[in-house]
Amino acid sequence: MNTWMLFLVVLVPCISGALTPVIPWKKRTHMMIYLETVVIINSILVWMMLFNRPTDAFTLVNFTGNLAISFQLDGLGTIFAGLVSFLWPLATLYAFEYMTKEHHEKVFFMFYTITYGVTLGISLADNMLTMYCFYELLTLVTVPLVMHTLTREAILASRKYLYYSIGGAAFAFIGMIFIIIYGINPNFVLGGVFDPATVALGKDIFLLVYVMAFFGFGVKAAICPLNSWLPQAGVAPTPVTALLHAVAVVKSGAFATMRLTYYCFGTEILRGTWAQYLIMAVVIFTIVYGCSMAVKETHIKRRLAYSTVSNLSYILFGVVIMTPVGLVGALSHMIFHAFMKICSFFCAGAIMHQTERHYVHQLDGFGRKMPKVFAIFTVSALALMGVPGLCGFISKWNLAEAAVESGNVLAYLGVGALLISALLTAIYMLTIVIRAYFPGSDFDYESISDVKDPNWMMILPLVVFVIGMVVFGLYSAPITNLLTAIAQGSF
Amino acid sequence: MEGLFTALVFFPMLGALIVYLADRKNGTVRDFLAIAVGVIEFVLMCMLAGSGMGSELYIPEICGMGLHFTLDGFRGVYGIIAAFMWMMTLLFSKEYLGGHPHHLGRYYFFQLMTLGATLGVFLSADLFTTFIFFEIMSFTSYVWVVQEETPGAIKAAETYLAVAVIGGLVLLMGLFLLQHTLGTLEMSALLDAAKVCEDKTILYIAGCCTLVGFGAKAGAFPLHIWLPKAHPVAPAPASALLSGILTKAGVFGVLVVSSNIFLHDVKWGLLLLILGLFTMFGGALLAVFSVDLKRTLACSSMSQIGFILIGIGMQGILGEHNALAIRGTLLHMVNHSLIKLVLFMIAGVVVMNIHKLDLNEIRGFGRKKPVLKICFLSGALGISGIPLFNGYVSKTLLHESIVEGIAHYAEHEGAAITGFLQASEWIFLISGGMTLAYMTKLFVAVFVEENADASVQKSFDEKKNYMTPLSTFAIAASALILPVLGVVPSLVSDKIADLGHGFMHLEGEVHAVDYFSSVNLKGGLISIVIGIVLYVLIRRFTMTDKVGVRIYKNCWPKWWDVEELFYRPLLLKILPFIARVLCRILDSLVDGFVLLLRKTVYKDRKIPHELSEGSEFTHLLGVMLDWFRGIKRRILHQPIPEHDVSYEHKLAMQREKIMETNMIISRSLSFGLLLFYVGLVCTLLYLLYLGGRG
Repeated sequence: MNTWMLFLVVLVPCISGALTPVIPWKKRTHMMIYLETVVIINSILVWMMLFNRPTDAFTLVNFTGNLAISFQLDGLGTIFAGLVSFLWPLATLYAFEYMTKEHHEKVFFMFYTITYGVTLGISLADNMLTMYCFYELLTLVTVPLVMHTLTREAILASRKYLYYSIGGAAFAFIGMIFIIIYGINPNFVLGGVFDPATVALGKDIFLLVYVMAFFGFGVKAAICPLNSWLPQAGVAPTPVTALLHAVAVVKSGAFATMRLTYYCFGTEILRGTWAQYLIMAVVIFTIVYGCSMAVKETHIKRRLAYSTVSNLSYILFGVVIMTPVGLVGALSHMIFHAFMKICSFFCAGAIMHQTERHYVHQLDGFGRKMPKVFAIFTVSALALMGVPGLCGFISKWNLAEAAVESGNVLAYLGVGALLISALLTAIYMLTIVIRAYFPGSDFDYESISDVKDPNWMMILPLVVFVIGMVVFGLYSAPITNLLTAIAQGSF
Repeated sequence: MEGLFTALVFFPMLGALIVYLADRKNGTVRDFLAIAVGVIEFVLMCMLAGSGMGSELYIPEICGMGLHFTLDGFRGVYGIIAAFMWMMTLLFSKEYLGGHPHHLGRYYFFQLMTLGATLGVFLSADLFTTFIFFEIMSFTSYVWVVQEETPGAIKAAETYLAVAVIGGLVLLMGLFLLQHTLGTLEMSALLDAAKVCEDKTILYIAGCCTLVGFGAKAGAFPLHIWLPKAHPVAPAPASALLSGILTKAGVFGVLVVSSNIFLHDVKWGLLLLILGLFTMFGGALLAVFSVDLKRTLACSSMSQIGFILIGIGMQGILGEHNALAIRGTLLHMVNHSLIKLVLFMIAGVVVMNIHKLDLNEIRGFGRKKPVLKICFLSGALGISGIPLFNGYVSKTLLHESIVEGIAHYAEHEGAAITGFLQASEWIFLISGGMTLAYMTKLFVAVFVEENADASVQKSFDEKKNYMTPLSTFAIAASALILPVLGVVPSLVSDKIADLGHGFMHLEGEVHAVDYFSSVNLKGGLISIVIGIVLYVLIRRFTMTDKVGVRIYKNCWPKWWDVEELFYRPLLLKILPFIARVLCRILDSLVDGFVLLLRKTVYKDRKIPHELSEGSEFTHLLGVMLDWFRGIKRRILHQPIPEHDVSYEHKLAMQREKIMETNMIISRSLSFGLLLFYVGLVCTLLYLLYLGGRG
């Protein structure tokens, strides 16, 4: 496999996305076919590459010295690229149906498709500079998506999103410069690029920079107290909230922290330091905090957004355990949460699309009127809670096991937080399910007679996700083995 | 043989799906299929128990850690009882639910799902498998409780779900700790792993976590709150299963932990004994005061679970001499399951005929229904521990185990334990008496007394077709087993008790117990006497006269409800409040910080004030002069002239004029020449200066 393929998959969505508003479309269907084809072809290219990995890096531009924009596919990137390229075609399909009721479709799909390329850029980046560039680019191309409806609320939300992201990136920038200047290797290396002897000269500075960079990237992963942009960004159309604010953007944040911790600063040096304890404490807090806010929230999408806040911190918790097993837990939750959350968001989107209802208390009795959507939503709710037999349980088990195994006292507390959060998840997800299925014996089903399931374009992605959740939940050995190999550097 | 395990667990789940689909087409087919699934399951279980003793099945890597099933005596007994109870309740469901045609497909679906999950629990060979099926069971049985969708049912189901979820999570925490400390969750390996484990404290913590999880499902104090609420609102067949078998799934878990990790551990035994005493006495007390048929039975279940927990506790306290306790525990579990099956189904008959449960309203329903009366009597006598009925056998064993404990500790050491055990013995006997008292109360109310309203009584007596032959068969066949177990205990009950030895790791010797010797009868008789006295007191104090008719009165203070008094305020008010305060602070932290900066350091520059005339300077000076003039006028009391022009305007005009003049000057030729001239003069002066120096 040629190494230029690495850049090709980044470029294709960007270019074809940018062409979308330029081409004079006769019919909407033509645009749909064009976009879906582009996205599917790109995903096929990515998956071909995953199974037949180019061994070398592809350098696009070489600035001075060790500053270069270059791409490489390693284990961690494989997971993220694979995840994103699997979800994108499905989400695009869903978006076609969803966007029938919105305006400025062309612009929307332009940015939506470009984001695909940019996200792949993050996952395929070979060094900090490349990742940083795409990371900033991601902010810029997603702002118009948040702002899409152009209501006052949306403009405020996108402004907030922009401020938070740029602010975070500034901190991340400090980390990047530090790595470029003091690291012995400009590229990502599992185990870190710092020489312990050099670090010993100024350990506290080293840790301080790490903490700053972590929080900088953590902004996109909605770490508390830098999370408030995420629930607000829920004003964007659901395909954006579901794919970007549950997967692509926020997982890029989590992915960046993994790169930062495991591939730049090195877990050997960081483990047991105050930096680890500080971050872990914040992350554990965020886990409980996100869930509590979700319980309080009655707007469906915002509730799910708070749930995302909490679940992202599960991933970050796995990251800051700073052992290979911790990375396995983090990666498995990254994959599984993507499935669970995009699925529940799509269900919420389907409800909003079909009925214009946005609040939890409006969903009484929907279970019988939208049987498919709610059956799927129930499964994703149970998976999010971590009911055994579904994928959420596997990743939570992996995380808890990693925490207990690390012997870190704070990590034990983290296991407790996971359990409390599971309880709160049960509350905020099951209240929706229970309302929908058991509205009470005197409920008047006539009052919601207009409610019905959406068409196949919305249902198909949901079904795929549910199958994924069940299959991963029942038989997760291959994926766990793969992740273990990645975390140990043997893949 | 191994395939049977898979079949037992997954066949009902598949059946559930088929039954659900059949429901869409045809109700009769659905009922028939559901019963068929129940019967096939029972046959399969008997086949497995008959031939597969000791066999195992390990399915690796499913659900993360793999599923592991095995079969031994205890599991065989409980597997058969579970399958039997499901079969009987399914037979009974056909008629019972025929009168409640409300989402029946859903009901059958979840009933059969739970069957598979419950068998998964009872056949599991490692705690991980137990946990997986335990959780599935908790969630699927939720639908039973909420089935009727009345406000009461929805609330009870909420409580049930909350307890199940919290219990499940604490259990999971316990399993994490066990897995971490002992390195295994295989039941066969737990015993040895626990023996060599150094760190007992963490074992106790882990044990307590699992105890919370399993105990919540068993209905042990103080997590019993769901039990008296959920049973009355669920459909009767479901109540029978909830009470008879789902609670036993919890007990199963407690037993696994107790007889492997804490085998012969006195401290653990004492903990369970104390919990058992509270559960037993508390349940009995609630039952005595209850005036609702199904609620009384539910509280009775709680009380009987207490008896079983006492048995488990005595296993630990007695150490190696725990044969009596082991046999008593198993037998009481079996007896309670079977008795509650009968009693709840009879309660179901009452409900499906008159849709009421209050003792005053159903009073006299069973007066002229001999079959129903005999079946109820058989269950009532059984659970009250009357000799010749099955409950007597197990209660005697449990009682004897306490007596043995007293003797054992009096011989060795520990006056404290002896005294405590003596107190326990009396609580045990009193609770036994209370059982008799509340069962008598139910029996007298439903089957002996006449209804306060003669016309109602007449309508009761005229009901001949109060149940179909199928239901009659289900109830009578279940009731017939009870005396069989009790009349010849050495032939039947003792054989069953033998089966539990391996599971609970019996080490000492087993002595044959003569159940009908005077020593053993004495304990039973004391209970009976207490029961009679209590019943007289109940009639005396909890019944009031109302227009010449004595009615049952609910004397239990309404506000005294642990759930309303403690759990709900704690979980719904206090904790959320604290969390909310914290969240609000943190939620506004960054935004607040940004806002602060915006208002202080990064304050926007004021939009420049457009002056209509003049410049900044003339404006300022003019305003100042105007101000002075104003003051001067005020001091000197000068009137404001008619055409008063402000200095501001004057100065602005002046400035305008100057600007104009300046423009004219600067554009004129003479001005240019003037400047030129000035420049020349400057140059000349400079040259002169240089010359002067030179």
